[in-house]
Amino acid sequence: MAIITKVCDEAAGIKTFTLEFKEPEIQKSFDYRPGQFVELTVFGVGEAPISITSSPVNKGYLELTVAAVGKVTRALHLRKEKDVAGLRGPYGNGFPFDEVKGKNILFVGGGIGAAPLRSLINQMFAYRDNFAKISILYGAREPGLLCFIDDLEGWGKTENSEVLLTVDAPDAKWRGNVGVVGSLLPKINIDIKNTVAFICGPPIMIHFVLLDLLKMGFEEEQIITTMERRMECGVGKCGHCNIGKSYVCLDGPVFSYHQLRELGEDI
Amino acid sequence: MKRVLTTCEFCGCGCNFYLGVEDGKVVAIYPSVSHPISQGRLCIKGWQGHEYIHSPERLTTPLIKKGNRFREASWDEAYELIVDKFNQIRTRYENDSIAVFSSAKCTNEENYLMQKFARACLGTNNVDHCARLCHASTVVGLATTFGSGAMTNSINEIAGAEVIFIIGSNTTEQHPLIGDRVLRAIEKGAKVIVADPRETQLAKLCSLYLMHKPGSDVALLNGMMNAIIAEGLEDKEFIAERTEGFESLKETVADYTPEKSSAITSVPEEKIVEAARIYSRSKKSIIIYSMGITQHTTGVDNVMTTANLAMLTGNVGKEFTGVDPLRGQNNVQGACDVGALPNVFSGYQAVTDEKLRNKFEKAWKVTLPPQPGLTLVEMLNSALEGSLRAMYIMGENPMVSDPDINHVEKSLKALDFLVVQDIFLTETATLADVVLPGVSFAEKDGTFTSTERRIQRVRKAIEPLGDSKPDWKIITELSSRLGYRMDYSSPAEIMDEIAKLTPIYGGVSYSRLESFGLQWPCPSPDHPGTPYLHKGSFTRGLGKFSPADYKTPAELPSHDYPFVLTTGRVGFHYHTGTMTRKDWALEREYPTGYVEVNSQDAKQLGIKNGQTAKVISRRGEISLSLKSVDTIAKGVVFIPFHFAEAAANKLTAANLDPVAKIPEYKVCAVRLEKG
Amino acid sequence: MKILSKSNLVPFLEGLGLEFKVNAPLYEGQDVLFGDLDSLKLATDFIGKPRLSPKEYSFPQRERLFTFKNNGGVEIEAHLNETKRVIWGIRPCDLYGLKFLDMVYLSDYVDPYYQARRSNTILLGLNCNKAEESCFCSSIGTGPFAREAFDLLFTDLGDVFLVEIGSKAGKKLIEKQANLFTNATTLEQVQGKLLEEKSKKTFKTSIDLGKIKAKIAAASGNPIWAEEAVKCILCGGCNWVCPTCQCFNVEDIKAGHKTQRVRYWDSCQLGGFTQMAAMNSRATQAERLRQRIYHKFSYNPDKYGGEIGCTGCGRCIDVCPAGINIAYILRRVAN
Repeated sequence: MAIITKVCDEAAGIKTFTLEFKEPEIQKSFDYRPGQFVELTVFGVGEAPISITSSPVNKGYLELTVAAVGKVTRALHLRKEKDVAGLRGPYGNGFPFDEVKGKNILFVGGGIGAAPLRSLINQMFAYRDNFAKISILYGAREPGLLCFIDDLEGWGKTENSEVLLTVDAPDAKWRGNVGVVGSLLPKINIDIKNTVAFICGPPIMIHFVLLDLLKMGFEEEQIITTMERRMECGVGKCGHCNIGKSYVCLDGPVFSYHQLRELGEDI
Repeated sequence: MKRVLTTCEFCGCGCNFYLGVEDGKVVAIYPSVSHPISQGRLCIKGWQGHEYIHSPERLTTPLIKKGNRFREASWDEAYELIVDKFNQIRTRYENDSIAVFSSAKCTNEENYLMQKFARACLGTNNVDHCARLCHASTVVGLATTFGSGAMTNSINEIAGAEVIFIIGSNTTEQHPLIGDRVLRAIEKGAKVIVADPRETQLAKLCSLYLMHKPGSDVALLNGMMNAIIAEGLEDKEFIAERTEGFESLKETVADYTPEKSSAITSVPEEKIVEAARIYSRSKKSIIIYSMGITQHTTGVDNVMTTANLAMLTGNVGKEFTGVDPLRGQNNVQGACDVGALPNVFSGYQAVTDEKLRNKFEKAWKVTLPPQPGLTLVEMLNSALEGSLRAMYIMGENPMVSDPDINHVEKSLKALDFLVVQDIFLTETATLADVVLPGVSFAEKDGTFTSTERRIQRVRKAIEPLGDSKPDWKIITELSSRLGYRMDYSSPAEIMDEIAKLTPIYGGVSYSRLESFGLQWPCPSPDHPGTPYLHKGSFTRGLGKFSPADYKTPAELPSHDYPFVLTTGRVGFHYHTGTMTRKDWALEREYPTGYVEVNSQDAKQLGIKNGQTAKVISRRGEISLSLKSVDTIAKGVVFIPFHFAEAAANKLTAANLDPVAKIPEYKVCAVRLEKG
Repeated sequence: MKILSKSNLVPFLEGLGLEFKVNAPLYEGQDVLFGDLDSLKLATDFIGKPRLSPKEYSFPQRERLFTFKNNGGVEIEAHLNETKRVIWGIRPCDLYGLKFLDMVYLSDYVDPYYQARRSNTILLGLNCNKAEESCFCSSIGTGPFAREAFDLLFTDLGDVFLVEIGSKAGKKLIEKQANLFTNATTLEQVQGKLLEEKSKKTFKTSIDLGKIKAKIAAASGNPIWAEEAVKCILCGGCNWVCPTCQCFNVEDIKAGHKTQRVRYWDSCQLGGFTQMAAMNSRATQAERLRQRIYHKFSYNPDKYGGEIGCTGCGRCIDVCPAGINIAYILRRVAN
């Protein structure tokens, strides 16, 4: 059982919910890795898998950023502070962290896809000295759909870290880059050999950014992304999220591009 | 777990399956391998369509309207109010100021009682049901040509045909177990010709596909007959011995050269001729048709023309031949058979025929009205115009299923009193003054008659939910309170009465239905039932060639409304979705409506696949998602009618066939705009 | 091995009925379905398999998982079914199906609902002396006689059943009604073996499993998927009847203050199975058909150490209203 302690509008049609577990023992012991997700129950409506966007370094609460796109998420958007929701998890494999220490990190995010990346970025920034240059490329269809504006600002101000933003369709006030997020790639200067890239966003964005990164010289194992599939049980039983012999909820949702190519099913 | 064998509540195939019952709830489905039609197979609705039975939204008590809201009421209260109001209206106006709208989803026993209630209790022939909206053309058209308005042959013959000509039927999607037989025929080498404005699944699998313009069926079929006669492929012996009126047919179709037919239908000449040759060269040719040809202002003409084609080639009255109208709902055939129609008693016995009427007057011990009553759309028109003051609607949802919904709403609201009996609070029930909770097919005994005239048992598996009552019980109780006593201990007794008064059902009784039913005509208790009709002679004696000329649909595209809208169904939903939209597997597949638009048209309109489009007709407008396809011609769009929130019938017009009074759901004019 | 005379079958099952819920194949009219033991309807002489496998005793078509009661706080009440059960008359294909589902559900995160039912169920198999037209278990190696995954295994020798003991639980059942059983003679055991050989010769449908295993990984571009998928009417029948199909959907059903979480069998042949808000990861029927075959012959074997996810029962062939035939498809893949 979790109580919603805060609801804030993240972007158009997207809200960030802060939740705390009702049971103090669970609140204390609940630990997770960036990239994992929880199954959230909106009582009387149903259950949906949502990526955790807060970072494990922040103890005592969970943050979930949710777009209202289905039955459960639309009902969730009507919930307010003090309402109770159900949580189970964390599920999934999480992003590599220790394994990428010492490297340059390139983040490429699109829209609400940045939610799991935010968890990883903030965790990395909490241990900033363990990583070399951090470049964050982020875009959305329009300015109103950009999430985590405050975080982005903070990240950009940190040493040896850069944030580049873009939108597909600007509004009158937009002064930044215009174009898909891949159009930001030529604007960064990194030592590709010692870089790991994390991509998270709409499937079509991932598809094109992947091609761009490979062209730039990234190896398949250097590119990490998350796969999205229809998920229900979250524990590899209900069968919905399989890609080849892997279940996205068990063996993913984080995969390296190399692993994806070995999955045995077209993605 | 208890297993109860019953007949499916969805399409007219008439599959059987076992309902698995545990703790008083339906929790599982088991197919019946020995059933002659189902043969252990089911479609998705059969497998997964029954969760609605236990939906928390089921009506479980009577409801009475108070202001704008409903309050729960007892049966006594509800009945008393209805009796009061009906009596008031009957006294103040005349008997014909009340109309009864029976249900093709309810059992034969219930439909029989509904028409008996209207006639014997209320003294009116204003009783009709949704066959009016789907196969009224068939009932009239085949009765005129053959003398009997039902599927001439049986489903199991289809797999043995050499040629199957399917016009206006999306068979694999809407009658899956009949589509199954067509596919088996194809495996055995049969030639299948599909004529449909949409490239359906069967169109992709058939030997010859004709994409004809909506409403051009007579031109297409006359064109085929022209080619048959031109090449001397007609069955001269059959024509001479078994038919009358050939000269008149010959004269009419002489006009429809392949050239002229092609110009009207948009089908290339060679294809029309090829279709004609394929169909006529076999003595095992079957015609299958459905809504695609019946739901037109020329519906009767369309049906008669298919009958003409069959008679021309001698492909009727024998096994592996025939004219097979696929009845849509589980019991629309039965509802017609037992007389839920304004002009006939059960067994298609005319109310105007004095001798027949006397037979019923004697049996029912009451004088009966001699003039035919109103048909469905006429009822609604009369309501608006003021001569109809009250309606009793059972198991129907005209607020989504009837043409021109805005007009339907005005008509129903114009009534003094509306009673709706249903299992859910449908869009129509919301307008009622009194709502009575009936039950699903799993909670009552009765019979359904499938499209191949097979009368089969529906068996009660669970108790009625809450305070709801079997529909047949409600009708008897209401009738008794209104002064015409109806007393039946069980539906079996009702069927016994039906059998006594209805020659085609004469040999039917529950004990004889235990083993997969009987196909009518079954005139006596030792008659085995009839797999195919018109053997040796037609029901009317000689088959009557009934030529028709091509007439344009009532509402053609124009400058302001440049697209033809044709409406139809998807295989996952049923009728207005009142049941299937509460089944997760079906709703998940099609959670809402859409409009199918040719990809080039979509490009020109500037609307991408998945974006919202506004579809507007002279009668209303709806907004829904656009599906860009290449299976429909430019200038034609398709909308499935199941979805109340994107109701295709807000756009359709109540243009009726002059004889059958069926609306032209398949053609009206619309324009599309970016939503 | 033991012998149970045919006339002692009903007494044996009724004897079991004192301690267990007993399920067996029953005649409902001319249909054979697994049901609660009814000696008047017991089907002992049928050929082939009931249309649905007995997997639903451990994995039902519809199963209530738990109920939330929302009155101020939220209480959760779980619904586990621990009925002690014996199922008699399970064909070798279905025995393998249950072994396969055990592997799926009792590994990793153990499914407590499946475990509660399955761990309380004893399996009494019945070998097939004759194959039905669609059967191809002999090609997979799962039949016509079973090798494993049974507590007791019956072979119909004509007047008597030959009974093989497969587990301690099975042995106990015999011991409790030892008076009904005698020891099998060598001759009777040989008879059993001969029947198996005879049965193997009755198969009309077969596949080359070796070739399929070799070729399947590279066959995703084979035109067969689109060719067959165009006929599919999305009834899901192939999944509903399959002894190894494992997928399920979960729904929350609210009625007043209570919400029930219920799980249902699901079908990967339905479009909605992989539908997400923004897109469908298997948008064409060809991909879905391929998924079904691959899940059984490629993905599950990869995941579970080579165990084929198909029992060769052939039910999916019988149940399809579009004539899509898995053996035909596999033949095209193999060649």
